Amino acid sequence: MRRRRGELLTALPFLLPAYALFLLFLVWPALEALWLSLHRENLFGRGREWVGLGNFQEVLARPEFWKSALLTLKFALVVAPLELVLGLLAALLVYRPYPGVAFFRTLFFLTTAVPTAVAAVAWGWFLHPVGGWANRALAGLGLPPQPWLTSPDLALYTLGVITAWSGVGFTAILLTAGLQNIPEEVLEAATVDGASPWTRFFRITLPLLSPTLFLVGLLVVLKSLTAFGQIHLLTRGGPAESTMVWIYRVYQDAFFNFQVPLAAAEAFLLFLVLLLLAALQFWLLGRRVHYAA
Amino acid sequence: MRLRKLLPTYLMASAYAFLLVLPLFTLLSASLRAEGDLYAPGLLPPHPTLEPYREALSRYPLPRFLLNSLLVSVAVTLGVLATSLLAAYALTRLRFRGREALFGLAVALLLVPGEVTFLPLYLLVDRLGWLDTYAALTVPFLASPLGVFLLRQYLRTLPEDYFDAARIDGATHWQVLRHVALPLSAPALGALAALTFIGTWNMYLWPLVVTKSREMQTAQIAVNFILNEEVARWNVVAAGAILVLLPTLIAFLLAQRAFVRGIALGGLKG
Amino acid sequence: MGVQGFFLAKAGLLAALLLGTAQAQRITVEFWHSMGGVLGEATEALVKEFNASQSRVQVKAQYVGSYDDGINKLLAALRAGRGFPHVIQVYDIGARIMADSGAVVPLEDLARKNGFDLDHLLPQPRNYYTVDGKLFGLPFNSSNPILYFNMAAFQEAGVPFKPTWSLKDLEEAARKLTKKDAQGRTVRYGLSIPIDSWFVEQISYNSGEYFCNNENGRRARATAVAFDNPAAVAFLDTYARLVREGVAANTGRNWADSQSLFAQGQAAIASYSTASLTGVLRQVGNRFPVRTAYYPYLKERNGVAIGGAALYVLKGFSEAETQGAWEFVRFLLEPRTQAKWHLATGYFPVVKGVTELPEVRQAHVRQPNYTTAIQQLATSKVNNASAGCLMGAFPEIRQYVQAAWEEILKGKPAQEALKEAKAKADAALERYNRSVAGR
Repeated sequence: MRRRRGELLTALPFLLPAYALFLLFLVWPALEALWLSLHRENLFGRGREWVGLGNFQEVLARPEFWKSALLTLKFALVVAPLELVLGLLAALLVYRPYPGVAFFRTLFFLTTAVPTAVAAVAWGWFLHPVGGWANRALAGLGLPPQPWLTSPDLALYTLGVITAWSGVGFTAILLTAGLQNIPEEVLEAATVDGASPWTRFFRITLPLLSPTLFLVGLLVVLKSLTAFGQIHLLTRGGPAESTMVWIYRVYQDAFFNFQVPLAAAEAFLLFLVLLLLAALQFWLLGRRVHYAA
Repeated sequence: MRLRKLLPTYLMASAYAFLLVLPLFTLLSASLRAEGDLYAPGLLPPHPTLEPYREALSRYPLPRFLLNSLLVSVAVTLGVLATSLLAAYALTRLRFRGREALFGLAVALLLVPGEVTFLPLYLLVDRLGWLDTYAALTVPFLASPLGVFLLRQYLRTLPEDYFDAARIDGATHWQVLRHVALPLSAPALGALAALTFIGTWNMYLWPLVVTKSREMQTAQIAVNFILNEEVARWNVVAAGAILVLLPTLIAFLLAQRAFVRGIALGGLKG
Repeated sequence: MGVQGFFLAKAGLLAALLLGTAQAQRITVEFWHSMGGVLGEATEALVKEFNASQSRVQVKAQYVGSYDDGINKLLAALRAGRGFPHVIQVYDIGARIMADSGAVVPLEDLARKNGFDLDHLLPQPRNYYTVDGKLFGLPFNSSNPILYFNMAAFQEAGVPFKPTWSLKDLEEAARKLTKKDAQGRTVRYGLSIPIDSWFVEQISYNSGEYFCNNENGRRARATAVAFDNPAAVAFLDTYARLVREGVAANTGRNWADSQSLFAQGQAAIASYSTASLTGVLRQVGNRFPVRTAYYPYLKERNGVAIGGAALYVLKGFSEAETQGAWEFVRFLLEPRTQAKWHLATGYFPVVKGVTELPEVRQAHVRQPNYTTAIQQLATSKVNNASAGCLMGAFPEIRQYVQAAWEEILKGKPAQEALKEAKAKADAALERYNRSVAGR
């Protein structure tokens, strides 16, 4: 109908509010942070000098950085499967309508409404060495109390569970929708053919759900790579740096060690990893468009 | 008859729901206990009391913190809804060169972690003279890449006919936006509203940095604040946390339907 | 009207002028602090009293969060070149950073200009914040570490009280005070110390050792750490050994968790700051009598260094405003003000002549535990070891020490863990010194 360029002028007033804000408050600071990462300066912001990729080299040469990268990977590998399994379980229980399903749906999806700080406090109390329910329950079973958040061996896994718990609501919502998208006829046909519930699940439901599962999994991994609040409130990267994931190290270097350009370099590397994962997700999404139809 | 088949579902769902909500429940329980009862065994408080709430509210300007969070969250939510809908409309209903690139930009921006941009953003905000004001807490967030993404995805799923019909009838793009796109996007807007409200309510690092006076601080800072102050008095900390939880909980419950539909549609139909 | 009106107008104008100038002369001084809870209330009370006591200066106090938050806000403001306060409270380990910032008006200069004799200050707090021969900050809330005893447990186990303890004595007492049940599980621990680098620093100072080189960074700028000294090694090895035996409790880095344990009677000896006294006493309530003693040492008691924070007056304001800031600081240094602060918080007074005041004497009679820190300080040797370490990347280095402590509890020998931590710490220090060199 119209020439391709012509609509640009009409589009401008629509695009301007959002994109002007993006430019000013997202793109500009991101670029400035990148600029900062190519320099060195003292902690008062003075004596700035160009070092090119010097900060990046320094970051990649430090064993602590790789330790953090590994911890982040470990963390994602704990959170993602846990969150997916828990979310799938919840979704399977509520995707079909039945009396009372709305009540259960609300409870299962609830954690999306819990802010990180509140979740951290709730779990901090739940895992409290003296008054927490978790250790009390263990004592009731005759088991010794566990140093959930104070043991270098346990802390990361504990935080992983807390993070998975926080996200399970969101995951459950997405998986519920995914399950609802599976055509009822296919499952009914299988039942008529005499397939057991297990067979139906593993041979039909799961494969049909797999694109959604994969997408949701990727989303969960992305979120786990930037999990910050609960670490800050509960362990501060400890004990013995066992929860010093990538983004927490960025924070630590910027605000504790006052090494802002170095932190900016680390943050930029994290951003690259996120970008890679997102590109992957988009490529896969593109291939799935026809599936839904 | 059907109910018998549902029994295992009810049992499993109940058990699972109980375990899921347990940490929140023990938090609530702690918030209703006097200090002496904190370590008393059992899930329910032995002598329920509202004392911790009274303490939390009197020792800390919680109402002010909550008000600040509310104002900021509402302002940002409205802003995000408006800017995202406008941009998404242009990105789906209008044709121009660079349209896909602009969308790609929004997606890429989704990934920039706040901890990266915080410092330059702080310096910018300071240069604008906005430190310790509502402006610093709201303006940078009035547009959201997530919002643009979700709404654009959603608008694409709407049938073209509605829009074409309106255009043929001579409506301007503004009118189409207002009378066609807006009502049809209600589920996605509801979801985005809930997500944005909760996300803004949840912000911690940024408000901590840009606010100085206690009058301007937000609810999340309050939680950390109380946690650090009331080091051993978990009942007061719990009360504070519950108070901070309530608004998002209510927002979620109100918008649950729209929320759920919107996220699912936006997240999957890609 | 006429003449009368004219007079009235003139009078009115004159009044307005006078009023205006009187108002304009009230200088506002912005004060950032990190005192929350009870301490915050005490701080606000002091500020209110100052404001009410005179009409020239109005101090506006702001709670800016924890010490870390405060210093981060300050650094961000310094980078922006604006938005920083007239007076700010910065933690003890920020002393070198503040001196290097070039943003501080040294207290020494202000005192000299206003004819205030700095000898009024107790030597240890004064020495701590003296950098390159100049006193930079005012030690505002000063504390030192002390031991807390559960006297009911002591009586039960037949351990006598004494005011000074060597590390070895402490180890033996802790063993005697530990109670285990039939299955060998510890019912009452003998010792509980939170994992905080501060305690490692203090055992070094108290044993005559340095925590960083160049005599704690006092003789010349510190270029390397010295926390692999015999006192620190012995302290950490001992603690790890006791934890393995089930004699000492590992409650992690959180002081509150350790204090809960002590207050519930599940740890007989604990170590915290003197500033924790009020809180701990309140938590213990009537459960058992509490007594306090001096912090332990390895072989011979040298003296502990002070902890806490100091107030700094910042550059970049008009003469009048800086003078106003000084007046506030001066007010805080008065013995009466110090007495109020000491009694409300447990921090000890940093000027001489406070302990003799009647209200202080009475309070000390009622609760003698408040005098422990004061006496510990009074009987400490004044040398570079007890002056405490002055070095740049202190916050970062504390993290390495704490991580080493945790590794040692996992089984690594202290010497080895500290050596590894030293390597990281030295690198951090070198980075810091390099970055402030080109100024």
